[in-house]
Amino acid sequence: MSVNVGDLDAIGVDARRRIGTAADEAALNQLRVDLLGKKGLLTGALRGLGSVPADQRAAAGARANALKAEIENLLASRARDLQAARLETLGDEEWADMTFVPSPVRRGHLHPLTLILREVKAIFSRLGYEVALGPQVEDEFHNFEALNIPQEHPARDTMDSFYVEADHLLLRTHTSPVQIRYMQSHKPPIRIIAPGAVYRRDATDPSHASQFYQFEGLVVDHDIRLSDLKGTIEYFARSLFGPDRRIRIVGDHFPFTEPSIAAAVSCGICAGAGCRSCKGGWLEILGAGMVHPQVLRNGGVDPDHYAGFAFGAGLDRLAMLKYNVSDLRLFLENDVRFLRQF
Amino acid sequence: MLISLNWLKDYVDVQVDVTTLAERLTLAGNEVNRIHEQDVDFEGVVVAEIKGLRPLPGSTKNQIASVSAGPTVADVVTGAWNLAVGDRVPYAVPGSRLNDRRIETKSFLGVPSAGMLCSAVELGLGEDAAGILILDQGATPGEDLRRLYPRDTILELEIKSNRPDLLCHLGIAREVGALFNLSVKEPTSSKPRVADARDLVRIDAPDGCRRFVGRLVTGVTVAPSPPWMQARLRAAGVRPISNVVDITNYVMLEAGQPMHAFDYLRLKDGRVVVRRAREGEEIACLDGKARRLTSHDMVVADAERAQGVAGIIGGADSAVQKGTTEVFLEAATWEPRSIRRTARTLGLRTEASSRFEKGLSPALSLPAVDRAAALIGELAGGKQTRSTDVYPGPLKLPSIEVSGDRIERVLGVRVQPAEAAGILERLHFSIERSDGMLRARPPDFRLDCTIPEDLVEEIGRVYGYDRVPSTLPGERTPVRDLYQRQDADEIAREVLAGREVDEAVTNSLVSSTGTSEIGMPAAPRSLVRIDNPMAENRDALRRSLLPGLLEALALNARQDQPGARLFELGWGFWKQATEFVDEPRLLAIAIHIPSGGGDAASAELRALQATVATVRDRLAVASTDFRQAEASGFHPGRSAEILDGGEPIGIVGEVHPATLARLDLPGRAVAAEVLFDRLTAGGERTPQARPLPRFPGVRRDLTVVVRGKIASNDLVQVIRQLGGYTLRDISMLSEYQGPQLGAGARSLSFRLQYQADDRTLTNEEVSTVQQRIIDGLKQRFAAEVRS
Ligand SMILES: [Zn+2]
Repeated sequence: MSVNVGDLDAIGVDARRRIGTAADEAALNQLRVDLLGKKGLLTGALRGLGSVPADQRAAAGARANALKAEIENLLASRARDLQAARLETLGDEEWADMTFVPSPVRRGHLHPLTLILREVKAIFSRLGYEVALGPQVEDEFHNFEALNIPQEHPARDTMDSFYVEADHLLLRTHTSPVQIRYMQSHKPPIRIIAPGAVYRRDATDPSHASQFYQFEGLVVDHDIRLSDLKGTIEYFARSLFGPDRRIRIVGDHFPFTEPSIAAAVSCGICAGAGCRSCKGGWLEILGAGMVHPQVLRNGGVDPDHYAGFAFGAGLDRLAMLKYNVSDLRLFLENDVRFLRQF
Repeated sequence: MLISLNWLKDYVDVQVDVTTLAERLTLAGNEVNRIHEQDVDFEGVVVAEIKGLRPLPGSTKNQIASVSAGPTVADVVTGAWNLAVGDRVPYAVPGSRLNDRRIETKSFLGVPSAGMLCSAVELGLGEDAAGILILDQGATPGEDLRRLYPRDTILELEIKSNRPDLLCHLGIAREVGALFNLSVKEPTSSKPRVADARDLVRIDAPDGCRRFVGRLVTGVTVAPSPPWMQARLRAAGVRPISNVVDITNYVMLEAGQPMHAFDYLRLKDGRVVVRRAREGEEIACLDGKARRLTSHDMVVADAERAQGVAGIIGGADSAVQKGTTEVFLEAATWEPRSIRRTARTLGLRTEASSRFEKGLSPALSLPAVDRAAALIGELAGGKQTRSTDVYPGPLKLPSIEVSGDRIERVLGVRVQPAEAAGILERLHFSIERSDGMLRARPPDFRLDCTIPEDLVEEIGRVYGYDRVPSTLPGERTPVRDLYQRQDADEIAREVLAGREVDEAVTNSLVSSTGTSEIGMPAAPRSLVRIDNPMAENRDALRRSLLPGLLEALALNARQDQPGARLFELGWGFWKQATEFVDEPRLLAIAIHIPSGGGDAASAELRALQATVATVRDRLAVASTDFRQAEASGFHPGRSAEILDGGEPIGIVGEVHPATLARLDLPGRAVAAEVLFDRLTAGGERTPQARPLPRFPGVRRDLTVVVRGKIASNDLVQVIRQLGGYTLRDISMLSEYQGPQLGAGARSLSFRLQYQADDRTLTNEEVSTVQQRIIDGLKQRFAAEVRS
């Protein structure tokens, strides 16, 4: 094929017109192929320069290259215009109703007792406590006698037990036997929490069940004082319920601690003024005390060299307070409408 | 314990307001549960007797009560229904006043009502607004109610079990004295001159009775006690009966020693024997019930038979009543365990038993008898004639030493020695001080203080725990506590929640019948039984978590929540041959499939197996193998053991339809249970990296059509054998059953990964191996194979 200047002019005129009228980006892309592609018009024209007489070849080449550059510019500029025009109306053309929100992907929900125990563990692990566990089927020695609760002790009134296997074993009535077991198997310093299920033959109502959950704390070391217990309780209660809460320590009595105390946290609903959910502005959260010297001895720890404190709280009670659960029985019922709130 | 503020003020001059009083008592360990201020000012309210009850025409809510407060009878319309003819009730007559409210005659449906009958809440005498306040029978019609209930404030205290000395007004007065540094005026009675009559009482069971004080008072006239005494008993929650009985109760509420009064002339041979009951001995008690005793129980008897259950309840036969003239007063100190045991077996807890079982001091009994006898002389005209005091082993009070340093070491605060000594002295301890040491002897009414820590508690609770600083234990945190591994439990829970399974916590106590058969084969068949269950359906400890989870699925289905998906991570109780109970940690999952039949169940079953494998993969970095196996409670063709190193560690499968039927659970369910520590290999394993392959591998898929009960595991085993060392990994891709394949046929697709460490595998090489596998499968399983 031979090319002359007139052909180039015609290609130029045609290209300028078609670029200027390209309707959209797809048409423009097609045009780019038609003009500049492997089999495009201009590509063909350039290839044909070889047949131009030698004296005109340089001039024709220059013309052709100039035309190619011009067309590329025009294509690019037209592409920019078309894109701008398209983006202008993008919102209308591709409008989607963004307020129609499908339900989130279904996830499984963890039990509130798991969640509260996680919080408790996290708080005490920051203080260097480790988690200790003990059996739920206990013997009388660990559940009672080693904790200064002999047969017919009045403290047994509140701990009516389930006996198994012909009376010599029972379901633990509190997590305190873990104190004894841990002291028997570990040398001080000791710093543990021991969570788990406990059982009492209590009639079931919104705040009582025959199976419930506690956690026990035990610290044994040289020079442990009641002030350390008080500080630990405050740190725990404020970490769990919020730094604005006040803590009240009152005298109490447990056979396995001496002195014994009880701790209450100011009510979050009435801020301590007193309301239906609390007792005079206070919510009792745990019982505690300095480990009784005889209990230390029962655990194989010499009370002349070591001292300790212990505390025990109801995990279900903490969960009820923190998550606003009004009925203890919901925890073991496993109604998914309850579980899925957590 | 109900404490009347009026009464308390007999012994201690309380200056502070009642809220402050309650606050300090609470901080010191005597929790005030409620303050009941009798704040209604009433006037003209009298005692009336109900003479008759009849309907109010035209009303279903109200009735007409005919009441009498004197010679005449009046009709009063009332909305209460707790009334019976003969009841004594508070009657606000026309013209009377409750606070600012004037009571007049008013007409109800045309019937005039002369005044009104009052509830406890209307009079400020209690919280009960539901019915009319029923007064005791001792209340005389026409008597001004203000005489029965003088204005008072009642404190409801919770006394700790180690402080029976506080179950009385004097005890609380002593606490108040110590807390507010006030002196306490103790009641005194002059020592009477009476004949010592040793033959009056014989103790045959000295191990059950530490002290027995008896006194004979003659020439008594039994009548109602004076109004002031009745009012005090009412304030403390005790019903007045007669002067002699009221005096014994009054002395108990004053100083803490329970007493009993016998009609002496009804005691056979005029003497008292303290002994164990004869096995099966019967006694008619004061409450009108007959009780059968055992040889463990202590009784107070006459020459012939039991006249009282010691320390718990008196007998009806020798009860003081109208006409009694000679009274034998008893104030004893009973062995607490024996009292508790008897009270428990009789199922009877009284004011007396609840005090004795906590361990009363024997020092209380003689002053109590002196006081009661003096009051009887004063109020019932008696004369003390004979007395006995059997007290073989008098009380020895310990001398306890504690140093100022010890106090500081226990409490974490420096209490000045003078302050510490002052606190103990105000609590009636006798104190000696010598360079930094306190030597303290507890008062004779307290048996609870024996060791230095007891003294520290006394000092601490009165000093105030609010004054103790807040510190944390020393800085020597044991290093071992800081090595904390990731908690496998929590990771497993997150994985399961990600698989759309909700966490449940079910009861450890289950029914020994019901669905207890379901569980993993490794669990022992027999359950650990509860000897004293509270309910028939909670009479054993679970060996599997599955019965509880399946029950929860059923509960949710009943609550219109079909399709529940639950898991539990908890403990099972496995009975061992040696009467020892093993407590394995179990993970169980149960999924309800309400509709879709076998195909839906089959799909859920695959998903459940994948879930179990995912937990294991996440924690143990190991694959999970399954072995077709039958298990109790599971579908016979759709269950498998979960394996760890070839050993079964759990079960997964579809729940047997018969099990579901017993639960009334429609549809189908799939479930799994596994030993959690075996599944997770004891916790999170640290992954170990291998070098990446240096040469490209070859991946080939293989589809096998088999017929009948052929387990994929067996196919995989053959593939692995024939695949040689270049076959690195086999995974199960899909399973298909359909009409094109024909009945009983399944197509199983596997993906095989070939790899060599030292060269690029050629297609020809892999094809040779692949052909060997295909031939092998065809031959061994009569399978059709496509690759
Ligand atoms: Zn509140």
